[in-house]
Amino acid sequence: MLTPKEIISTLQMVREENLDLRTVTVGINLTDCVSHDIGTFKRKIYDKITRTAGQLVATCNRIERRYGIEVANKRISVSPIGVVGAPFNADQMVEIALTLDKAAIELGVDFVGGFSALVEKGMSHGDTALIDAIPQALTESQRVCSSVNVASTRAGLNMDAIKRMGVIIKQAAELTAEDDGLAAAKLVVFANIPQDVPFMAGAYLGIGEADAVVSVGVSGPGVVKAALERAMAEEDNLDLSRAADVIKQTAARLTRAGELVGREVAQILGLPFGIVDLSLAPTPNENDSVGEIFEAIGLPAIGAPGSTAFLAMLNDAVKKGGAFASSHVGGLSGAFIPVCEDLTIARSAAEGTLALEKLEAMTAVCSVGLDMIALPGDTSAEMLSAIIADEMAIGVINKKTTAARLIPAPGKQAGDHVVFGGLLGEGPVMAVNMGNQENRFVRLGGRIPAPIQSLVN
Amino acid sequence: MNKVLISVLGSDQPGIMARVASVIQQHNGNIENLSQTLLDNVFGALLMANLADDDSAENLQLSLQQQTQGMNLYIRVHPWQAGPSDWHQNKPETQPYIVTAIGPDRQGLVAEIAGELFRHGVNITNIQAIFKGGKNPMDNLMVFEVDVPRAALMNDLRDALDAIAARLELEINVQHRKIFESVSNILN
Repeated sequence: MLTPKEIISTLQMVREENLDLRTVTVGINLTDCVSHDIGTFKRKIYDKITRTAGQLVATCNRIERRYGIEVANKRISVSPIGVVGAPFNADQMVEIALTLDKAAIELGVDFVGGFSALVEKGMSHGDTALIDAIPQALTESQRVCSSVNVASTRAGLNMDAIKRMGVIIKQAAELTAEDDGLAAAKLVVFANIPQDVPFMAGAYLGIGEADAVVSVGVSGPGVVKAALERAMAEEDNLDLSRAADVIKQTAARLTRAGELVGREVAQILGLPFGIVDLSLAPTPNENDSVGEIFEAIGLPAIGAPGSTAFLAMLNDAVKKGGAFASSHVGGLSGAFIPVCEDLTIARSAAEGTLALEKLEAMTAVCSVGLDMIALPGDTSAEMLSAIIADEMAIGVINKKTTAARLIPAPGKQAGDHVVFGGLLGEGPVMAVNMGNQENRFVRLGGRIPAPIQSLVN
Repeated sequence: MNKVLISVLGSDQPGIMARVASVIQQHNGNIENLSQTLLDNVFGALLMANLADDDSAENLQLSLQQQTQGMNLYIRVHPWQAGPSDWHQNKPETQPYIVTAIGPDRQGLVAEIAGELFRHGVNITNIQAIFKGGKNPMDNLMVFEVDVPRAALMNDLRDALDAIAARLELEINVQHRKIFESVSNILN
């Protein structure tokens, strides 16, 4: 017999606090599709994707009804196209992106990730072609997402790649100027990219992964906020130790829900289950905001002094709760702070409470990085690269994943408003210190060496 | 084997179980299983006991009534020879679901939902009401724990329950039990 408390708390999470499975992502390995012939390659990848994930949407709908939990997105991630499409040139890479897009539309999935290159130490022919193709590929396709890993703790920072990415991001934004640079919102630059992220835009299937695998991304900032608010209302002497406990326990419960659904989808599809990625990933809706958690704990707004300390605690507690609840936690697992995707964070940025510099400091302790940040359209490619380099350095030195998803909105100035729509949200254009200037440091290129692993101070 | 079923109902007070159990002991009976519950201030218990061969349900009932005088209890003792019902003997393969009705108490709520569940071959294994009143919907909750035969048409059942929900201005959810267990029981 279930106790009333068990029933009520589960119902509350689902009904009122926006617990959802943000994504069920099927990773599909495309290494067995390789061919020197573009036609053959396109046909093989289309067939393998549609065959492997043919029942994904129907299965998710079925599971959704069974448990009464919404599966908000169904997604596909594939092997890095820079690797499996190595023989092809940039134009052919665009064709591959459109093939991925066609497969995604055929399956009814929301996004397909893996239009990716891993170039932390150097760029191969395929990687270069893929990176060159990104602006056009993301402009002409609807559902394709792209990621490029430009740095790692073991390899250091590939500054040549980072320099190139500044130019690519700028081009992608300019090609989609009418939509405030939407293509750049589907492109993310990484340091230490995990091989099993189910979240977009960074999802791809790592080379060390199985032929196909089902992973889930669970979210629920609203659930964490509600749990904290309840505890603060009920307990007179709630201190931060206790608050960390509340977050941890809530994270564990969220993870359990995710693993249950993920394993069931995997079983029905006849595929192995991969990982649960428990990430507090906001959507641009009330009660689904990471920023609101900061206000619930007593900070005047996200970005105020104390924000980095609380984010560090939040991120850690989420990881601990997730790791306790499931043996296969992976991906990014922590707290995201994407500006345009989060109502409260976007508001703080618009009101000037949260500046780019503070955001960067906070990314040292969050689970991703500078995410969904609209910048003035006249930000120079070199400055974009420099912002990326700063963000990557934080990840490389701290042995963690960091990422940059920057959107230089064409024609927009700091303080203007941009709208990307859907999950990508909307928000203010944030000011960049000396953003339209040259940056000769970036122009030097080369590699920033990997950091020493001893003398840790 | 001289099995009896004992039901005890009345206002909750200390000593009900002590008195009932001691009478059974005086009769050299053995309590094999029991369950008690509280509904507001009402006590209810169901006991299954084995009596000596020369004893009887009537005898035990008389003793129980005599020795609980003044406690205002309704006590019944029935001889119990029956085995499990047909349903349990030929139990179909089932899946455990939780049906929750959220919203203010309505006349006929239990009858309508239970009736619809029955029409779909569903067996109720536990039912509890959490009515605290007030405007918070979660304080007005009716919970049916049920076993749904695999053969049951879930979509039909959901549609039928949705129709009741619309008529009685309630929200009715049908969710597999595993979601409640996974989220609630972290230490297993």
